[in-house]
Amino acid sequence: MIAALHRTPPALMLVTLAIGLAACWSAGSPFGILAPIGALFLYARGYWLLSLWGGLLIALAGTVLAAMLYPGTIRDEALSLGALVAVAGCIGLLLVPDPLRRGSRLAALHRRAARQPDGLGGYADRALDGAVHPDDRPAIAQAAAYAFWTGVPQVTSYRQREPDGSYRWTELRAEPGYGVSVDVDAMVSRPCDRWTVAESLGATVAAVKAAKVIESLHGKAWAFDAMGKFTYVTPAAQVAIDMALEDLNRRLGDREFIDGGEAGWMRGVHPDDVDKAASTLRHCLKTGEPWNIEYRMLRATGHYVWHRISARPTRDDEGRITGWFGTSIDIDVYKKTEAALRAREQHLEQLIDTVPAMIWSMTEKGHPAYLNKRIMEVTGATRETIMAPDGSLSLKKMIHPNFLDLAEQTFAKSVATGAPYNIKYLQRRADGAYRWTETRAEALRDETGKIVRWYGVSVDIHDLIVTQTELHLRKQELTRLVDLVPSHIWRLTPAGEPNFFNRRFIDFLGLDESDLETSRTERYAAALNAAIHPDDAVRLWAELKHCLLTGLPFSMRYRLRRHDGVYRWMDGRAEPLRDEDGSIIQWHGLSHDIDDQLRGEEALRESERSLRQLVETLPALIYCAAPNGEPIYRSEKLREFLGFGLGDKDEDGRTRLAGTLEAIIHPDDLPDVKEKYGLSLATGSPYAMKHRLRRADGVFRWVETRTAAMRNGEGEIVQWNGISFEIEDQVRAQEALTLTQERLARAAQAASLAELSASIAHEVNQPLAAVVANSHACQRWLTLDPPNLERAQKTVERIIRDANSAAAVVGRVRALFRQTVEARSLCRLDAILHEARDLMLEEASRRRIRIEIDIEAGLPPLALDRIQIQQVLVNLIRNGLEAMEPTQHRALHIRCARTGDLLRTEVRDTGVGIDVPDKVFEPFFSTKSNGMGMGLAISRTIIESHGGRLWAENNQPSGATFVFTLPVETKADHDR
Amino acid sequence: MPLPAESQAEARHPLVIIVDDDASVREALSELMLSAGFETVLFSSTKALLETSELDKPGCLILDVRMPGSSGLDLQRHLTTSGNPKPIIFLTAHGDIPMTVQAMKAGAVDFLTKPVRDQTLLDAVNAAIGLDTARRAEAAKIKSYVERLQTLTPREREIMSEVTRGRLNKQIAFDLGISEVTVKLHRGNLMRKMEVTTIGELIRAWEALPVRMRETSAA
Repeated sequence: MIAALHRTPPALMLVTLAIGLAACWSAGSPFGILAPIGALFLYARGYWLLSLWGGLLIALAGTVLAAMLYPGTIRDEALSLGALVAVAGCIGLLLVPDPLRRGSRLAALHRRAARQPDGLGGYADRALDGAVHPDDRPAIAQAAAYAFWTGVPQVTSYRQREPDGSYRWTELRAEPGYGVSVDVDAMVSRPCDRWTVAESLGATVAAVKAAKVIESLHGKAWAFDAMGKFTYVTPAAQVAIDMALEDLNRRLGDREFIDGGEAGWMRGVHPDDVDKAASTLRHCLKTGEPWNIEYRMLRATGHYVWHRISARPTRDDEGRITGWFGTSIDIDVYKKTEAALRAREQHLEQLIDTVPAMIWSMTEKGHPAYLNKRIMEVTGATRETIMAPDGSLSLKKMIHPNFLDLAEQTFAKSVATGAPYNIKYLQRRADGAYRWTETRAEALRDETGKIVRWYGVSVDIHDLIVTQTELHLRKQELTRLVDLVPSHIWRLTPAGEPNFFNRRFIDFLGLDESDLETSRTERYAAALNAAIHPDDAVRLWAELKHCLLTGLPFSMRYRLRRHDGVYRWMDGRAEPLRDEDGSIIQWHGLSHDIDDQLRGEEALRESERSLRQLVETLPALIYCAAPNGEPIYRSEKLREFLGFGLGDKDEDGRTRLAGTLEAIIHPDDLPDVKEKYGLSLATGSPYAMKHRLRRADGVFRWVETRTAAMRNGEGEIVQWNGISFEIEDQVRAQEALTLTQERLARAAQAASLAELSASIAHEVNQPLAAVVANSHACQRWLTLDPPNLERAQKTVERIIRDANSAAAVVGRVRALFRQTVEARSLCRLDAILHEARDLMLEEASRRRIRIEIDIEAGLPPLALDRIQIQQVLVNLIRNGLEAMEPTQHRALHIRCARTGDLLRTEVRDTGVGIDVPDKVFEPFFSTKSNGMGMGLAISRTIIESHGGRLWAENNQPSGATFVFTLPVETKADHDR
Repeated sequence: MPLPAESQAEARHPLVIIVDDDASVREALSELMLSAGFETVLFSSTKALLETSELDKPGCLILDVRMPGSSGLDLQRHLTTSGNPKPIIFLTAHGDIPMTVQAMKAGAVDFLTKPVRDQTLLDAVNAAIGLDTARRAEAAKIKSYVERLQTLTPREREIMSEVTRGRLNKQIAFDLGISEVTVKLHRGNLMRKMEVTTIGELIRAWEALPVRMRETSAA
């Protein structure tokens, strides 16, 4: 039951404790406490158990002391408690029956201590397990411990118990160090084994004696005579190789051993070694040299075991060899250890060679001692090539010349001081290429601190270095980019503190980079604070703060003071850089110097403003139109003049141009304006026109409009720029002037007729006056007494001369009216008609009369005096225009057509008509108040002189038509 | 033929200056003048005339109104303003009323139209020459008065000025603060110097004097 209790889990124990306490408390008796104490005893172990016992003892002692010191009830209480404690102690004794449990900790310690010499491997355990004969156990344990602690291999024999309970001798070779343990074959000494002794020792007595001495020292010895015949072999050895003396000396061929024959012992030698052993022995036997050889010897167990064999001759007084004695030492364990070591070394070497690192070692003087295979493969170097003639290290062939000095210095220094070294350099490879290599070397020291060896490892770090270099270059490039980019690049912490300015920004601010007292952030912040223009500072910080709070991109223009104190306008922009979860890591900003640009813009704006002002204030009406003629701009003056803006006349279904034109151009001028403007728009030719423009108050004012195309580099029209001058006054003045001129011309015409007659009169009168005066003089000369005939004669001659002169004048006057055929040339009548129309257009427009021309196509040219016919046409047109002055319907039609061999030209007006159509052609007949009445007469004369006719007809209902015909085949000799 | 006229003309050698752009007219007029016994000098333009000194000689001008360059009327205006009283006869082929009025108001002797009757022209020429002669005689007389006046003492001139105003000797003496006898003495001297015998002659001589001289004498 107690055992069951021991296995109860702690929870149950706690329940027990709780029930006990509850009972103790409910019963009001301290005896209840026994239950938990008992529970504690069940579980207490080691220290806790001792504490429990100690606590109980102290409590018992306390109660006993209290009972003795205090009387009365306290003593009773104390006794009662003491009894309780005593009972608890008894319960404890009952519940802890196993004394081993109390000592379990000690036992565990003991066991651990027994296992401690781990180097003994399983031997100690086997010894403890009883596989070893009890008598041999201490010896084995001692040997194992000795081997372990000293590192010297120990060989010992013990008796091993076989599974059947019998013991068998076994040789144990305890090896320290590498953990190599060789289970050698047991040399079993069996009582029944056979061994013999030679019957006669012969001359080998001395040798046998010596062998026995050795046997007493070493355990194994033998002796043979000069011929190589064994005379003594230690019995144990005979047993071990299972060969008796006879077997050893048995001749197996027909020759003696010394003569090259085979002896029995040779059967016990490994076939690989036997020839060498035999030949060396023969040689020694013949020469007397000591025989030293190692070979494998066949044991009785059937295994070959390495032995070192030594033999020395014994000589008599004359120095002749009397015999040989020798011993053999079992070196199998050494051989095997050596093989194992070699294998291990080989393994290590392979390991070193296969490790992807170049490993080498040097002597304490720095002479190369070892290079691993890899280093040789990779660098092509061998120990010889890197060795200077004096044996020291020569790195010339391994290291790039640039690093040679450094490497040699470092190396020499390390060799001198023993400090480890670490160097990175370009190593020359077998293929001639150089690769970055890092070499570390440390010295191996012996226990006295003396350097024994340098071991080094070289690692190819080329890729790493190249990558690092590339990274470095990229970083440099990036830094350069950041520094050289012609902008200011900066970075802010999320709190708005600057922690990076690029080089340009630093230079711009003139920051002193050498100031390392304060942190960069503080310096930058201070510099920035100082550099911002005071007028912009509040605005800027507010905006920045806002951006920092909201994470919105920052963009602002502000002035920043350059290091030379000049404020420059900057366009600053910043955006936050966020991590994956969206929180701002930092702000990257860019400030661009836009000062020049701003100034340029300002200048441009100023220039544009002044230009606009110029345009607006010019006392002219200026407008611009799109290439299709749509108005796109009107100057202030023009808007004022028209009383409406650009878009005010926009209507559905009509272009702005058409709407505007109809609104502002006088209806009479509209067709012409539309035609001419349309032509200009179509051809790109400049437009110039005088027309009436409707002012805001409804009054039409004469303006002269000129428009020219503005073209781009390709010659395309990009805009039409136009200007209208108000020429109302000018036109009025012109009209007045024209009127005056006309009156003047008319007066001049009248005057010239008077002048003409006066001139004619003068021309005729002069000679007549001369004739009269001369006549009188002549008369006087003749009436003198005596008459002066000479003078009279002279005066008569003068009279004749002057009279002739008068006649010539009259002839000249006649010639004046005669037409000269020489002036005539072949002309096209339609061209003359257009010329005449153009001459009269100005007057017609002043009189608000339209002239319409209708000319038949393909009229033949005529021989005409162009000026005279033009004068006739002008005369007829002017008459027509003047005749329509009082009428309402005003239009003058000119028609020209061919009828037969005549060209008939009509000038038709809608005027008042003519009363007497035939009389108008008479000279000095005029219906006009101020007319001379000569125009039509002269016109008729001119037409008739061209072989044509001129007449007048009245139209129905009103107006007159003047018609003239000209013969198509007008002969030039008509008038001759 | 009235001889006295001829002799008078010859005696004084009056010169008829003819200006006409028409050579035949110029020659014909010259012939007529020659046949009437006048000396003539011919010019084709007023400019040519003004370049000579013929205008200072006694005689008259026959001017064509219409000429290239400066017209006859222009020359008349020029002479009037320069104080030359040369008598001018205008001759034109086509004169009109305003032209005639202008010429006559400016002091032309006559305004004739071509062709002209010989006697009409000769009468005009005679009248012009007579006018010129009279003007020249008058000018000579004034010149002699002026010369005589130069010989007077300031007191005599003073007294002469007073006398011509009709002042009595005693009034003059009182005004000048001298004795009447002295006045009479001066008066006698000045009348002798002025080569006049009566007061009336003296007054006429005084009146003939240019205004400028009369004023300086009075002062």
